[in-house]
Amino acid sequence: MNESGVLRASLAIAAAGFLALLAYSALHALDYGEEEAYSRDLRRVQAATAELNERVLKSRSALLSQYDPLVHALRDLHALHERLKRVPEFLGRSAALDMRARLRDSEAQLQQKDELVEDFKTQNSVLQNSLHYFPILANSVIDRARVTPAGATVASRIQALISAIMLFDTAADTESTSRVQSAQVDLSNAKQAAQELQLNHELELILAHSQIILERKPLTDGLVKQILAVPLPRIALALEEAYSLHYRSATDRALILRQILFGLASITIVLGLTDVILRLRRSALALELATGELRQANAALAREREKERQLGELKTRFVSMTSHEFRTPLSVIVSSTDLLENYSDRWDAERRSDHLERIRSAAGSMDRMLDDILLIGRAEAGVLRASPAQLNLDEFCRNLVESLEHSSGRSHSIRYSFSGDPQVTLDERLLSEVVGNLLSNALKYSPTGSQVDFDVDANDEQCKFAVEDRGIGIPEADIPRLFVSFFRAGNANQIKGSGLGLAVVQKALDVQNGTIEVQSRLGQGTKFVVLVPRDLGPLAASKSSSNEL
Amino acid sequence: MTRNRPVISSVRCLAAVFVSLTVLACLNLFGCGLHEKRHESEPVELDSLGEQPIEPLPLTVDFDVAQAALGEILFAEPRLSGDSKVACTDCHHAEHGWADDQPHSRVVGRPESPVNVPTMYNVRFLYKLSWGGKYESLEAHIDALMTNPKVMASSWEIATQHLSELSSYRQLFAAVFRDGLTPSNLRQAILDYERSLVTPNAPFDRYLRGNAQAVSPEAKQGYALFKSYGCASCHQGMAIGGNVFERLGVLRNFFDDRGHFDNADLGRFNITKREQDRFVFRVPSLRNVALTAPYFHDGSAATLEDAVTTMASYQLGRELSEPDRSAVVAFLRSLTGEYRGNSL
Repeated sequence: MNESGVLRASLAIAAAGFLALLAYSALHALDYGEEEAYSRDLRRVQAATAELNERVLKSRSALLSQYDPLVHALRDLHALHERLKRVPEFLGRSAALDMRARLRDSEAQLQQKDELVEDFKTQNSVLQNSLHYFPILANSVIDRARVTPAGATVASRIQALISAIMLFDTAADTESTSRVQSAQVDLSNAKQAAQELQLNHELELILAHSQIILERKPLTDGLVKQILAVPLPRIALALEEAYSLHYRSATDRALILRQILFGLASITIVLGLTDVILRLRRSALALELATGELRQANAALAREREKERQLGELKTRFVSMTSHEFRTPLSVIVSSTDLLENYSDRWDAERRSDHLERIRSAAGSMDRMLDDILLIGRAEAGVLRASPAQLNLDEFCRNLVESLEHSSGRSHSIRYSFSGDPQVTLDERLLSEVVGNLLSNALKYSPTGSQVDFDVDANDEQCKFAVEDRGIGIPEADIPRLFVSFFRAGNANQIKGSGLGLAVVQKALDVQNGTIEVQSRLGQGTKFVVLVPRDLGPLAASKSSSNEL
Repeated sequence: MTRNRPVISSVRCLAAVFVSLTVLACLNLFGCGLHEKRHESEPVELDSLGEQPIEPLPLTVDFDVAQAALGEILFAEPRLSGDSKVACTDCHHAEHGWADDQPHSRVVGRPESPVNVPTMYNVRFLYKLSWGGKYESLEAHIDALMTNPKVMASSWEIATQHLSELSSYRQLFAAVFRDGLTPSNLRQAILDYERSLVTPNAPFDRYLRGNAQAVSPEAKQGYALFKSYGCASCHQGMAIGGNVFERLGVLRNFFDDRGHFDNADLGRFNITKREQDRFVFRVPSLRNVALTAPYFHDGSAATLEDAVTTMASYQLGRELSEPDRSAVVAFLRSLTGEYRGNSL
């Protein structure tokens, strides 16, 4: 539970981190449209500057007859700077600050350029007018002055000024400047002559225009030089380089971000899958456990049912068997009693005692059967106990053999042998049940006159009893159930018996910690071997025999 | 400059408010004013003109029609001023080409204007405003005039406050602007109106576009003189001026001859404080110049002829003959355009 809690918590953290980063990267996503527009504007700064410079030069050379193109170029540059101030979001804050700082530099330069262009236009307008009008005016005055001899001097001085101005317009150095100035002085000195020719106003105008050219040409050219020298293209280039650097680092950051995102997504998926797998495994385990318990319960139930069935069967068999086994002796008793009652006065003593003997025998048989049933019942109730005592085993066995030979009317010969130490500590009554039943069975199920071998061997640890007959044998299939109460082998139906003998043997052996083995060949004979501990201590007798039916 | 506001907003305005029936009329006028008027191709004779210092005005311009219509109403609204007494139209008179026919404007409760009031026509084509070029944009210009205590003595907030007392204005603004009457919307409406004041299709523009019969031979002669005298050194471009600063009195001292001078005569110097900018003024646009007498920053030239004479004398050092001057004036008169499809 704790482990899965940690797993869930880290899964939640990973998922939250993934979502937060995703949102962040979505907000700072590289907008290609914005990027393209921005870098295009950056490139446009240089182009627009070049355009402006070109237009200034054209204006200076009278190739452009209006100033709108200059104004528009400047307006474009200002608009570009305004647009460039909106640095794309994805570049990040520090890059935006850097770009804006550079843009401020650039704007300051642009402002300077703007003012220079403004002055240039003002100067250039007047200069262009004078450059255009001065030769026209001067030549027309020359034409008018030439008609008189006095005017020739004026005309030649105007001509000299025109030459000086032309030279000055080509190369404005100190030499050409002083030449214009001396030509102006010469022409001023001819004012008197001009007044006579009524050209004094024109002369003034010529001088004024030459003065304008002299003053404003260097000024205008200087302005053009300054305009061209404004380091806007260099700053624009640096701006572009800075931008591409920022752009690269932004894309690098985006790449790293993407990798982190990928990692987080992977972690989230792995954690999620682990969680699911663990949950599945836990539920599978629980299912298995439940199934096992169910199976065990089922098995126990089946066992119970089997036991019950066997018990029921046993009861049925017990009832039918006992009713049959008790009825036979009872009928003997009833019939003999009836006969004795009706005919005893007519019968001789021998016949009477014969019937009395029948009654006693039947009653004895019922008594024995009851003893057997009681012993089994006590064993099954767990109250059968062994009561060991000192016993001479050889003597005990010999007496048993003799009593059996006697009761069977010496129909068989019992070959008895004993070896070992005869002094043992055993329960005599239980032992007589074991050995007596085995021997009586051997006599019962073997043909009259055949021999029964009874070998007893008492060594240091245990006593071994082997009883072997040459009788009908036991079918192999019946051997496993041989010791079950009321069970009788398939080939024993013709011979009277209760099916309790071997069950009694088994129960009696169980409480003495003894074992029994059986070897049998159908139609040839059966051999039972019983092993019982020689010295049955008081503790050993406490073993319960109620574990099995 | 270009706004693509859905036309629906103006349609909704018209449906919702009957006060705006006047606006509807204005809209109709606008509709056929700048957007429809296109002249059919006329006989082309002028292929020899080549590159000219003057360009015709565009036949169409972009502006928000509904906002401009609202702005036109506001232009005449004295509630914009702090004391609710002065409207834009008190100095900019429609019948005088949105200029003032007095050398210095006189408005009740305000000091006399230090300079002659210039025209509002075609202001969208000027790159700097006022005689000294003080304002870089129409926005800067209108903001300054609103708060100037000698002009509107107001602010957009005060003006909004005044207007919001009238339900008709609230409804009009609600119809035109999504967020109704706000200081910035008020300003925007006036700006849109100012940008709509364009006068295309002057006879001379038609001539430039190739219609040889659009102007008289005298005007054509005047144009040739205009260029050869050197007027076109400064008066050039689409607005025929308005894109360069020049000193008043290049070849003769204007102010010495006038006899006195005051602070307003310093021109651009008042803004830059540079010595070289003394007596320097923005070269005014000559569009509709025939409508905007008197002339110059001091309104000292009462007629176009006076103005041409003064300019030739002080700027170019020339005395013009009477026929030459008439020709130049004829050319200048051909610069009067059309507004809302009607010749001015």
